[in-house]
Amino acid sequence: MGRLLLIAARNLMQNRRRTALLSAAIVAVTMLLVLLGSLGNGIQATLLEAGTAMLTGHVNVGGFYKITSGMGSPILVEAERTLKDVRELVPESAQIVDRRRGFGKIVSESDTVQGALTGIDATNEDALRGVLRIVEGSLDSLGGEDLSILLFQKQAERLKVSVGDDVTLSSQVVRGQTNALKVRVGAIAKDMGLISIMSSYVSKNVLRDLYQLDPDTTGVIMVYLDDPDQAATVKAKLREGLLQRNHRLMEDEPDAFYHKFQQVAGEDWTGMKLDVTTWEDELANVQWTMKTFDTITSLLIGVLLVIVIIGVMNTMWITVRDRTREIGTLRAIGMGRLRVLVMFLLETVILSTVSALLGVSLGAAIAGLLNWLQIPVSPGFQIFLMSDTLRLVVAPYSLVMAVVVVPLLTTFGALFPASRAARLKPVTAMQHAG
Amino acid sequence: MSDVVVLSNVSKEYPLGKLVVPALKEVSLSIGAGEFVSIAGPSGSGKTTLLNLVGCVDTPTSGAVIVDGLDTARLSERDLTRLRLEKLGFIFQSFNLIAVLDTFQNVEFPLLLQGKQSRKERREVVSELLERVGLDKHHHHRPNELSGGQRQRVAIARALVTRPRIVLADEPTANLDTGTGGAIIDLMKSINETQGTTFIFSTHDARVMKHADRVIRLEDGRIVSSGDIAPNGAAGSRPELSVQEGPAPYLAGE
Repeated sequence: MGRLLLIAARNLMQNRRRTALLSAAIVAVTMLLVLLGSLGNGIQATLLEAGTAMLTGHVNVGGFYKITSGMGSPILVEAERTLKDVRELVPESAQIVDRRRGFGKIVSESDTVQGALTGIDATNEDALRGVLRIVEGSLDSLGGEDLSILLFQKQAERLKVSVGDDVTLSSQVVRGQTNALKVRVGAIAKDMGLISIMSSYVSKNVLRDLYQLDPDTTGVIMVYLDDPDQAATVKAKLREGLLQRNHRLMEDEPDAFYHKFQQVAGEDWTGMKLDVTTWEDELANVQWTMKTFDTITSLLIGVLLVIVIIGVMNTMWITVRDRTREIGTLRAIGMGRLRVLVMFLLETVILSTVSALLGVSLGAAIAGLLNWLQIPVSPGFQIFLMSDTLRLVVAPYSLVMAVVVVPLLTTFGALFPASRAARLKPVTAMQHAG
Repeated sequence: MSDVVVLSNVSKEYPLGKLVVPALKEVSLSIGAGEFVSIAGPSGSGKTTLLNLVGCVDTPTSGAVIVDGLDTARLSERDLTRLRLEKLGFIFQSFNLIAVLDTFQNVEFPLLLQGKQSRKERREVVSELLERVGLDKHHHHRPNELSGGQRQRVAIARALVTRPRIVLADEPTANLDTGTGGAIIDLMKSINETQGTTFIFSTHDARVMKHADRVIRLEDGRIVSSGDIAPNGAAGSRPELSVQEGPAPYLAGE
């Protein structure tokens, strides 16, 4: 095997131009594979971080309350009892917070914006604090008894308000009437994509007052875990535990809570039911977008890999043609078919492995460079990404995959020409005119 | 002297489009162990075809080829490969060395394929052979750094390294000048005499033929004469020496 490796390596060196061209193609594809994978990972990570901080916990226990069978509201009654049960059922949680959920108009003297209102106690919201970039005021203003609101930059610009100004919230409440409440702008944050267009944060008391709710109510209990991958397990455990503790649960529906209003309104029950979801359920739309992105990326990489495989096959055909007489000689002096096959495949294995390693290294280095450069993303992409800069996450497993998959596929491409070389009759090969 | 090669009624035809071109026609011959035999004849007479059949790199259209007592038609592809590796050595007109390996590695290669000897044993055998062919100072030269005569010496060393019973050489001096060609034939003859290796080589050069114990002359795919060498270097006609017309005696009953 050592001598076959030597022959393969030296043949590659001998045909420098051919080797360099093919190697460059494999390096480029592997590099793209790493970069696109890192981009996908980066988007996923950004979405996970931003999404789980702003929209959802890793596991959520949300409430739907119905006074009549035809209308549902995102209200969780007996909040203290439910919080206690959740804490007991998930002792391994990293943090548990609760938020109120609402929907309404934000009205200023200049304009009106409409969207989701999330009631928070900022003193408990470490994850949210980590992702929001406050440009004016303080998130702490949403942590006390004050009736405060956090607006995103574009909302504030549209409403022509700044910190300290008052805006009016207007919302339809449970019984169909519209309530209004004056709140003060406590903080303005940098835009965060789609979320910052469609929602804003208020102090918890704002929604209590706006909807005239009992103090022992909330909207959702959000459970954060050290390992988000455990979300599905924790969800199952919570569903079982909550049922045992005499809570009423909705059917398990892996979808975001705001998609469930129509379904809830159509169901024939009153009172409250709990809806247990994971972050993946709540970000199902975003996940769909991610899957679309992954599919497009996979297709692109697939096409590139096919091109490389065809390139490898073509090169191998040329190599086999050029070395047909050598094959004949080797077969004549006693080299078996398998060894001929291995000899040719080794060339591809060496070339593709070295090239893939180089491609992976370059890809990882470029990903690091792009992260360091903090490249801004276009506003359109920001909406989807929930971030204003590009972020690439190089996952070690994807590097290993690239180093394994690229050589495997290119070697597969070389298999057909190499096996043809191995099957050549010695006399046919020796008489080859090329 | 036992026969190491026996051909019995061997014909070989090559399809050429819709035509069938006969390369050998009903050839029968036997070659004894330790003979130094020349296959002579003009271009297209079937010399290379005959060597290819004896070398088990091609199969006859009809007839039997017996090499070292083995009927090659009954051997599998794997067995034929093994036979070539263990019993046969090849020397080619264009040397056919592996361009990316140096002299030592080219000669050592068949031993690596055999996989029987240790690194130290291989080193000893190859070094000894290279000294024998006068290339002990050229171990690390690649083929493109050697002259034609030196390359053919490497090819001879490679053909001999496994101590084969038979060495087949297809026009071994055709690409060499007269002096170098003569030296190569002398070397082959010397090995034949000292080691008892059977040499079968094709040539159409009368000066080369005169070194042979016996010359088998082919024309249009048939043996036209076989015998020892006349004083002027031309092959005599002594078919009674070793060439049997028709099937070899021990195959007659098969």
